Amino acid sequence: MSDLDFLQEFRPDPAASGRRRLSAGTIVLLAGILSVVVVIGIAFVRSQQGRPESGMAPDFTLTTFDGQQIRLSDLRGQVVVLNFWASWCAPCREEAPALQSIWENYRDRGVLVLGVAYADDPDDSRAFNAEFGLTYPSGPDIGTVISKDQYHITGVPETFIIDRNGEIVTFIFSTITEPQIRAILDPLLVGEAST
Amino acid sequence: MPFRGLLSLLLVFGVLIGTAIGMLAQADPTTITDDQVMDVARSLYCPVCPNEPLDTCQTEACYRWREDIRQQLAAGRTHDQIIADFVARYGERASAVPLDPTLNALSLVTPFVIAAIALALGAVVVLRWRRRQPLSVAVSSSPMPADASAYRARLEEDVRS
Repeated sequence: MSDLDFLQEFRPDPAASGRRRLSAGTIVLLAGILSVVVVIGIAFVRSQQGRPESGMAPDFTLTTFDGQQIRLSDLRGQVVVLNFWASWCAPCREEAPALQSIWENYRDRGVLVLGVAYADDPDDSRAFNAEFGLTYPSGPDIGTVISKDQYHITGVPETFIIDRNGEIVTFIFSTITEPQIRAILDPLLVGEAST
Repeated sequence: MPFRGLLSLLLVFGVLIGTAIGMLAQADPTTITDDQVMDVARSLYCPVCPNEPLDTCQTEACYRWREDIRQQLAAGRTHDQIIADFVARYGERASAVPLDPTLNALSLVTPFVIAAIALALGAVVVLRWRRRQPLSVAVSSSPMPADASAYRARLEEDVRS
């Protein structure tokens, strides 16, 4: 028995020479790993498609409860307070008077308050508008295309303030107050007027 | 004249029966049980909470949607009609299952296919492992082939030098 017996284990095997082929099991395993990676990748890409908090506001056409058609891109030159709401949402009840006040006080200065009702029964939405005496244009988001596919809202209320060039200036995640909106609109209108 | 009278009577009778059938078809919402409502609600998701089925969600939005389901059941709509109505109004994400028949079939079949592949893979691995065990013993106890002696002699010489 020589000390070099172990070397037989390292002898080149002529049968194993050349490139090894992958077995069916390995191919299936690799395909499985690849599928998992693809699924995780898609989920990651989707998670990155968050709500737009700056840049151009996604364009949409809203048919209001009065039957009026409003296209966001047609509102260039006006500042838009885009509010996502629902009649079943308690914080929306809190902010409704503030939105109406903003509409009444700023409409002559080129501000449009626009309501988009999210996942709400149209009859309930109309009753909500009547209850709070809301007169600014508002309409249902049919198929939740505007709220979910374009603005990626995660709940209501959520408010976007869009400047005269159609760019999102501010995003407000929670209930808005009148002083808060005034503080955003006033400098924006002054700045816009001087340019 | 008696024939026309009879015809009028039949007409009135027909209208009355039609009205009665219509009223019966539009049942009182209070006669719709919670189980019937939940059966439909199980196929829908809360519009606000992530991944929360409508039948277990306790938000105001879900409560209203369940009442909507109750009203629609009372109006004689079927399970599928109600789901289709919700999807039309609130988008496909309201539905718990894909409405596209191909996607629906895929979602049902895929878990079984994955399980079958995993089982097959496991079986192949176990079989190979069992086949290799005696082979490895045989290899370790096998004598060196005759043509290796020259190779070994040369190696030993190299090591010594």
